[in-house]
Amino acid sequence: MTTGVHVNLHTYAATHVATGMLRGLRQIIRGTGLDPAYLRDRWDVLERGIAAWLRSRHLQGLILEVYDPGRRTGDDLVGRFDFKIDYGYHADGDGDLWLDSDAVAFAIRKNGSYPSQCDYLVVADTSPGRPDVTGWSTTTLRSTTGFTRQSIGTAMTGGSLGASLAYYTRSA
Amino acid sequence: MISESASAISRRIAAVPARTSTETWQAIVDLLTEAGSEAHQELTAITSIAAILISEEYTRDAPIVVKPASGARIRVRTVHGMDAIEAINDETPLYSGGLSEPGWSVSLPCGSDDLDEITTALSGASAITVRDTSEGLSASSAGGTNSGASAAVPVINLSEMGRS
Repeated sequence: MTTGVHVNLHTYAATHVATGMLRGLRQIIRGTGLDPAYLRDRWDVLERGIAAWLRSRHLQGLILEVYDPGRRTGDDLVGRFDFKIDYGYHADGDGDLWLDSDAVAFAIRKNGSYPSQCDYLVVADTSPGRPDVTGWSTTTLRSTTGFTRQSIGTAMTGGSLGASLAYYTRSA
Repeated sequence: MISESASAISRRIAAVPARTSTETWQAIVDLLTEAGSEAHQELTAITSIAAILISEEYTRDAPIVVKPASGARIRVRTVHGMDAIEAINDETPLYSGGLSEPGWSVSLPCGSDDLDEITTALSGASAITVRDTSEGLSASSAGGTNSGASAAVPVINLSEMGRS
């Protein structure tokens, strides 16, 4: 399903994309067999941070990092979904508020389900100078060596913003 | 199907993109309660759950049904998309006192795909229930599904939440 609304203000676009990406993450988490409780219980903190950093243009990407807690640290990455932000997707800044849940569904179908013991983190990739948001802490992303990145394309837009979706699967 | 009652008050609250889903729920809580009240705390405690329902736009298609201890029932719908940008300047406050007295209940609309998860998540909030939007709503039905018996505040462990 694709929905669209015309808008030209960055704040509204940032809000639309922030909530849209969280909806997308929830769709991915449920669709790949992960426990939705982690995301559900932290929705308010996550949305506050993502919206703040989109509005301030510090958010570069939103990452769902899936790992196996039973594996050795450094070798525990199982998969990953990335939303990558493009602040100049619509050069004139008046792109529709658009959300393509079919693109997310396609990525889920291509990726498949994760084993039941897998856990996950939601990581915001931000540029220097971001405003602080309560409830977030710093971390380092797991290495994607041995994984192949599969690009799905743009999943949502608004104003000048675009968010493209990709996922990683183990290739070696 | 929705049947309106003469004893119900309706309000429209602007949601995404005028507000995030979380901000929208905060606006609804502020509409219904006074800051610092028990009702305000109970409704604030379920912010993440209610925000998910708003983000899925269930609250656009069916109302949040609020039953105060006394007085008229209150139905709150959210407005999304371009309409939300206009609606945020046209929100009407409540003059009835909202949930100032104990004995109130709130029924949240939910799609069938999310019903089991949300029902389980709300199991500790006895005054707040969830109902399947596909089952419709009559003037007398504000109830829903809730397996819990006592109020509780969700415990959030933020230690694993990351930012790079």
